[in-house]
Amino acid sequence: MSTLSIGMLYGGATLVVMFAGMPIAFALGAVATIFMIVFMPHASVDTITQNVYEEMASITLLSIPLFILKGAAIGRSRAGQDLYGALHAWMHRIPGGLGIANVFACALFAAMAGSSPATCSAIGSAGIPEMRKRGYSGGFAAGIIAAGGTLGILLPPSITMILYAVAAEQSLGRLFLAAIGPALLLVALFAGYAMVKFQSEFRRAKALYESKGIHSELLRPDELSLRDKFVLLPRVLPFVILLTGVMVALYGGYATPSETAGLGAMLALILIALIYQVWSPRELSPILTATLRESTMLMLIIGMSLLYSYVMSYLHISQSTAQWIVSLELSRWVLLTAILLMVVVLGFFLPPVSIILMTAPIILPPLKAANFDLIWFGVIMTIVMEMGLIHPPVGLNLFVIKNIAPDISLKDVIWGVMPFVVLMIIAVILLCVFPSISTWLSDAVMGPATR
Amino acid sequence: MTHGLDAVETATAAAPDADAAGVFHRVFRSLNSLIVIVSSIALVVASCVLTYSVVTRYFLHLSTDWQDELSVFLIVGAVFMSSAAVQANRGHVAIEAIVALLPPGANRVRQRLVDVASFLFCAFFAWKSWTLLEEAWVENYHSSSTWAPPLWIPYSLMTAGMVLLSVQLLLQVAAPGERRGPA
Repeated sequence: MSTLSIGMLYGGATLVVMFAGMPIAFALGAVATIFMIVFMPHASVDTITQNVYEEMASITLLSIPLFILKGAAIGRSRAGQDLYGALHAWMHRIPGGLGIANVFACALFAAMAGSSPATCSAIGSAGIPEMRKRGYSGGFAAGIIAAGGTLGILLPPSITMILYAVAAEQSLGRLFLAAIGPALLLVALFAGYAMVKFQSEFRRAKALYESKGIHSELLRPDELSLRDKFVLLPRVLPFVILLTGVMVALYGGYATPSETAGLGAMLALILIALIYQVWSPRELSPILTATLRESTMLMLIIGMSLLYSYVMSYLHISQSTAQWIVSLELSRWVLLTAILLMVVVLGFFLPPVSIILMTAPIILPPLKAANFDLIWFGVIMTIVMEMGLIHPPVGLNLFVIKNIAPDISLKDVIWGVMPFVVLMIIAVILLCVFPSISTWLSDAVMGPATR
Repeated sequence: MTHGLDAVETATAAAPDADAAGVFHRVFRSLNSLIVIVSSIALVVASCVLTYSVVTRYFLHLSTDWQDELSVFLIVGAVFMSSAAVQANRGHVAIEAIVALLPPGANRVRQRLVDVASFLFCAFFAWKSWTLLEEAWVENYHSSSTWAPPLWIPYSLMTAGMVLLSVQLLLQVAAPGERRGPA
């Protein structure tokens, strides 16, 4: 059988079992196993489990559960509300300051927790009611939180990036650094939009008040004393210290990325014990169970995705597809656009982890041939996958928001989020035009990359 | 990050089963709960080991050789061993886009087929894990690091985990509809 027909069969079979609703991990594993039995030598079927084990038994991959543990510990404490409260107290004088405080709180929290849905629910559960109480429209409030939450997979330590580094054989430290500039760009865009949108809502409320005398909370000035500001500060500091401590450990050369995960998880558990008195087995148990649940689900998908791409590469499916793409001789930007569109479509169905592991062997060689920097592409791909979290049909963050604020209609949530999707597209375009937004920091810290 | 499952909730209370088969279900559930506790501890221990590694290297200038590998064993073990408990709540994510469009009757049939297929795959994987474990034990395989721990340790955890997962799937095939906790 030709590689083309095997490839078509492989893809077709995968689609069928996945859409039948078979758990992604088992679906990938089963398809890979069947193709091993049919098309590969017997010996390879015998070593299937060894293959999965050896692929998974890397400490870089296995740091993922520890990053999840750190995120769960932070996410389930009151840290989110406190962080949010403090930022609000310090920023309320800026027009739209409350919205901006929410964006910043999301970014900081995401950097600590590393998870988009966790960020949405932690910051959103305090931020959305507060914004609405202050007269922000439901859609606007929801949009800020949904979009702010996506920063989680861009800011280090991001699980998506760990997998990309493994799949693309790139330096994880460099990738983390390369994501910081773009993350700040997104924060700036989001905050800028929040300010502009606030002013337009404010003007409308003012006009309404002047013409019809309808009062809006938006018009009421916010009064917070200096005391309020300082009371909240100490509660946030330890987490900021945790965040910077972990970064220093990583980039100061004291710890490997995986050791950072262990260190971060440990510190997070100690901090929530000290600050929020969360230390009894009864209180820790939900944190640990949730961590285990998510880690197990994710690691099995990762292990089976690795087996899936191993089979794909053994049968030359990935190489042939990659060669075929190269042979099309598309212009660089057409190639990039086509690949990103494919990532968007795959994002409708698959979690980012599977997208990365399954497509990397196919899309990375053509991108490399077209002279794209793979670190830079990792950042772009991550932003594009983040977008999948806030637009239909999947838009996980939208559902998290819907859970926190059930009275905002899904339609309002979606329309509130759309401007942020546009901002993210703008960020991607900016990154394409000025790649140094992403690469300057990694080059500055780790020396120019060998490209 | 993950589509998912930031796991907003955890264990669901199960309805007590009165009949004989129920006894097995109950025992299996208790076993799963126990494994979840042990696996949770394993994760925390792995964090401690890695932290210890940073501290000893930086402050005591000791070389670190066994820490990474021990953490790998702990985490791999935790992941495989708890996979049955996750399956018990249908926590292994699937694509549900089309599933939602099916009429309930067809959906039950589909769920059954999917469970059978998942069971067959996991049972095959468990069997191959077992042969790998046997080989590693008989041939006395060790990992290639300087610490060189025997490989039957992680292999046995992988095997046991996959066997438990297969049993869990078989239970779900036998009693469809039972224990649909939040995924």
